[in-house]
Amino acid sequence: MARTLETDAAQRHERDARTATRPRADEERRAAISIQNVSKTYPVPLARVKRFFRRDVGEVTALTDVSFDVREGEIFGLIGRNGAGKTTLTKVIATLVQPTRGAVSVLGFDSVRDEERVRASVGLAGAEERSFYWRLTAEQNLMFFARLYGMSSRAARRRIAELFEQFELTDLARRRFGELSTGNKQRMAVARAMLNSPPVLLLDEPTRSLDPVAAARMRAGIGELVRAERPATVLLTSHNLAEVEELCARVAIISGGRIRAVGTPAALRDEHRRRESVRLTVRGASADEAARILREFAPDVRAEASAGDETEVRFTRELGDERLDLALRALQAAGARVVSCESGRGTLLDVLERYDAEHEAGDDAERETSDEEAARDSATKERA
Amino acid sequence: MSGELQLPARVWAFVVRDFQLAFSYRLEFLLRILSILFVTTTLFFISQIFAAGFHTPYEQWRNPFLAWITALPFLNYFMVGFSSLAEAIRSEQRQGTLEGVLMTPINLPTLIVAASAWDFVLATFHSFLYLLFGWALFGVEFRGNFLLAMLFLLVTTLVLASIGIISASFAMVFKRGDPLALIIGTGSALFSGVFFPTELLSKTAGSFFGLISNLLPTTHGIEGIRRVLIQGHGLAEVREPLVTLLVYLAVVLPFSLWVFTRAVRRAKREGSLIQY
Repeated sequence: MARTLETDAAQRHERDARTATRPRADEERRAAISIQNVSKTYPVPLARVKRFFRRDVGEVTALTDVSFDVREGEIFGLIGRNGAGKTTLTKVIATLVQPTRGAVSVLGFDSVRDEERVRASVGLAGAEERSFYWRLTAEQNLMFFARLYGMSSRAARRRIAELFEQFELTDLARRRFGELSTGNKQRMAVARAMLNSPPVLLLDEPTRSLDPVAAARMRAGIGELVRAERPATVLLTSHNLAEVEELCARVAIISGGRIRAVGTPAALRDEHRRRESVRLTVRGASADEAARILREFAPDVRAEASAGDETEVRFTRELGDERLDLALRALQAAGARVVSCESGRGTLLDVLERYDAEHEAGDDAERETSDEEAARDSATKERA
Repeated sequence: MSGELQLPARVWAFVVRDFQLAFSYRLEFLLRILSILFVTTTLFFISQIFAAGFHTPYEQWRNPFLAWITALPFLNYFMVGFSSLAEAIRSEQRQGTLEGVLMTPINLPTLIVAASAWDFVLATFHSFLYLLFGWALFGVEFRGNFLLAMLFLLVTTLVLASIGIISASFAMVFKRGDPLALIIGTGSALFSGVFFPTELLSKTAGSFFGLISNLLPTTHGIEGIRRVLIQGHGLAEVREPLVTLLVYLAVVLPFSLWVFTRAVRRAKREGSLIQY
């Protein structure tokens, strides 16, 4: 694994040296992927004809005014519910879908004007199993794509052997793609994305369908990519929020095609929930005594007897306030001994749920407004 | 790798891939060879109906088997030129692999050439089989300038490949329902003089059908090849169909590339590259 990653880094270094002369502004040098006000509306087939017959022509808006940068050498997470716009945004970056408005650049190359250069710089591992030739073997598949990347047969064979070793696919090299398990097909998708050691990787649920051990190894591999001498930039979309928290330096939350928040996982959590719940296990104080002592500092305190002579006490506090310190001192002063102290903050799931709820509430409000407007229009027409 | 070197390497990638895919269906490969043998044999026996006392004013048709066996493999070749790209795109869309291919730094002209390459290799083999069976089993002999026949083959195939690019644009945008496939694909056998002289069309069905026949590039391609291989004509005598084909090529090729570029752009706008 380490050897392979070193090779990745060396290949990236070599390629960067080759492309060092291309003109890029300082600002762009820091952003590997730059997304500026991107909107995407899928047109409706035969919209004019449908409008002529007064049929409702509801265009599908997948992205609205999306803007953020992914910095070079960063693992950037994109999270959101199904249909939130993650895959569309990934495809826009990969040049497979054109934005209706706005611009995307990868390493300074525009995704519409310089699409070939963008594709040479980007490796996409999608969640679509059908993107391989099922009658060909795993090796034949990767060989075909390696040739399309312009690799010589010898270099391609060497690289494919490395990737097979890295993704533990060596024994399956001669197996037809259709005969591979779902997890191994997923590994093949990631291996293909890394064939030409691209400086930018778009990974769409890379650990989906992997067993826990394989998923952990995949995560470790992704982590190593950005720690290499010439680090790769990774845009990771995933429904596994623990994975996103573990890997990503920053996260964007997308809901209803809009970016709701961008920040570090910790910052997003803290912004969402400035309070934390505290659970103390104490000995030498009954539930009533503990509640009486702590009510002064924590009005929402709840205490109950737990196993043996222990009492479990729960209260909430603002992050960084004095309540925990005062509670511990007060309990100790009353002769109680604190056996354990745990605190629970908000998770990314809480954050995601909150933004999604806001989005749905916004939709309902919009719907109500438009219903009211329609009712007003109709009343006006009737009066006329 | 420089741009000039990339084209052959990528064409090779597609040829190897399609060979591997074809090889994974071995039985189909063998049955196709058998079907060519059956068609050739059937045509030979039909031609034997006219073997005694057959008089015709059409010089190329004095030996109908020779006329058929000359036209069929070339028509097969032309049709591959016409349909291979659209078929390749439909196949990639059906399999869901088009996005995977378009994620690589391959440009559109390269994709057009490379995606059709294997079909041409296969069509060359099949056309060769028609001629081989005709020569080895039924004593057909060709005369004339083979290089000139090859020139006709090349130019006609390029014209049909250009029309095929427009057909592929329909596949890219509308997925199914291609009017050109109807006109060129099924119309060529009827209107291009593969099985009977085109002059009969005007004579018996009216000048309108004769006009349709004249508008099809396959008519001029087959006419030129027959004149060369059956009548032994030289360049001076086949100038007219050759120039007609070159004019077609000059008009249709740039137009088709423009249409295809727009079709791909539209599919990307609609996000329907992968759909079939």
